Amino acid sequence: MHSLGATLTNGALGVSVYDYLSGRHWRVNGDRWFHAASVMKIAVLAALFAAVERGRFTLDCRLHVRNRFLSMVDGAPFRVDAGRDGDADVHAAIGRTMRVRELATQMIVRSSNLATNLLLDLLTPSGVMDTLARVGVDGIDVCRGVEDDRAFEQGISNRVTPDGVVALLRAIVDGRFASTSASAEMIDILHDQQLTGTIEPGLPENVRTVARVAHKTGEISTVSHDAGIVFLPGRPPYVIAVLVESGGDARDRLDAGIAASSAAYACVSAAGEGVGR
Amino acid sequence: MSGSNPPLPIVDACELDARYRQLLRPGELMPTRTGEVHRLPRFFYEVPSTAHAVNTQLTPHFGLWEFMEVDLHEPEPLRTYPRYVPCAVAALAAALEVLRVEIGTPIRIAANGGYRSPAHTASTSGSPHCWGTAANIYRIGSEYLDSEERIGRYSDVASRVLAGCWTRPYGHAVGFADDHLHIDLGYATVVPRQVSEDGPSEAGPHTAREHG
Repeated sequence: MHSLGATLTNGALGVSVYDYLSGRHWRVNGDRWFHAASVMKIAVLAALFAAVERGRFTLDCRLHVRNRFLSMVDGAPFRVDAGRDGDADVHAAIGRTMRVRELATQMIVRSSNLATNLLLDLLTPSGVMDTLARVGVDGIDVCRGVEDDRAFEQGISNRVTPDGVVALLRAIVDGRFASTSASAEMIDILHDQQLTGTIEPGLPENVRTVARVAHKTGEISTVSHDAGIVFLPGRPPYVIAVLVESGGDARDRLDAGIAASSAAYACVSAAGEGVGR
Repeated sequence: MSGSNPPLPIVDACELDARYRQLLRPGELMPTRTGEVHRLPRFFYEVPSTAHAVNTQLTPHFGLWEFMEVDLHEPEPLRTYPRYVPCAVAALAAALEVLRVEIGTPIRIAANGGYRSPAHTASTSGSPHCWGTAANIYRIGSEYLDSEERIGRYSDVASRVLAGCWTRPYGHAVGFADDHLHIDLGYATVVPRQVSEDGPSEAGPHTAREHG
């Protein structure tokens, strides 16, 4: 997997894989920090379900949909650009309310930035970080809402490491944020992902048809990430984060991510064959 | 008040269960952001169900439900039925009806932008929203009120046709608004007929009820 990053122009590849069957962990640049892009929404989802578990509110509670947020730098208001957001449904509800569950779903499956900021306003970035710390997840740094351009201009962005994202996903699988049923609901939301990413295209074709990939992509002008849980028939899942950063063409990043997913599957598959013999 | 349901009962909130009294704080003084104090409303419409909220028309163009949409920032007991809305909301609806007729197109009130209790997390200080006499309008017809031009234009109309109303100026700081038009009638309260305000009724609960 190490050679895959060499094909990127001015870029880096980070991969972390944990296999529940063999118990093995593979990593390339596992502790390198990347711009989180929308992969940080997994942390918001986990913190949301943890807050529900603690009884702060329920998933059926309603939240005012308002496109007005305050920069973490100076408190200046900013709005999420509807034209750049991946989801029109939440923008169509401005002024009214949506259920927390609907917002969580839109945040993940359509990568809605507006839904993300609404939920992050509710939870607060420090609340998300406290939740991650409580379950022992590090390598995730959620410090601001999406499209906080003032923060971005000052070099303040949400960051993740491949190992951090895998730790986060493992905490979801292991039920450390919430009950078993709530964890299953989080995974179902991740499974309903409507964006393709790189994990599933990297699987062999015959595997792809039977695999269930619960994942979240992250795409901005310089990164193409994908992170998720890969369920295969007859075996426990494996968890993978493929983070790709480069100043070059997005197609190159996606190709590198797909190749990394293929390599990860080969590692997991080979390690699994030795288990139980 | 009209609609398919019977007129709503009016209750003296001083006679409600303790959990409601603690949240609604009827008759208590509440300071505003600028330091004045006003007495919170005491008489409320009791809304038994969603159906009652939806089917009760306050004016030809405004249903009661439009002034009641709140989110999880309102304490849970006040989000579940029966719910309570200050009687002055009818006066607010009447004022907005004048504006609606003048403009000739639907006026949409934002969630948390009608009545919200003093226990709502947005009620950090006394606002006419806690009296049921303020509305945050986020959309008029197809126009979202999220620019200085639109907010200013409809603010001018409101000031022209609604004597005594106040609109929040456009701006980003506290005390201003940049994504809605805030209109209020001040800290008005409505007291039902045949009710004395000098103390709780001696006849026990529900004697303040009358059909509004």
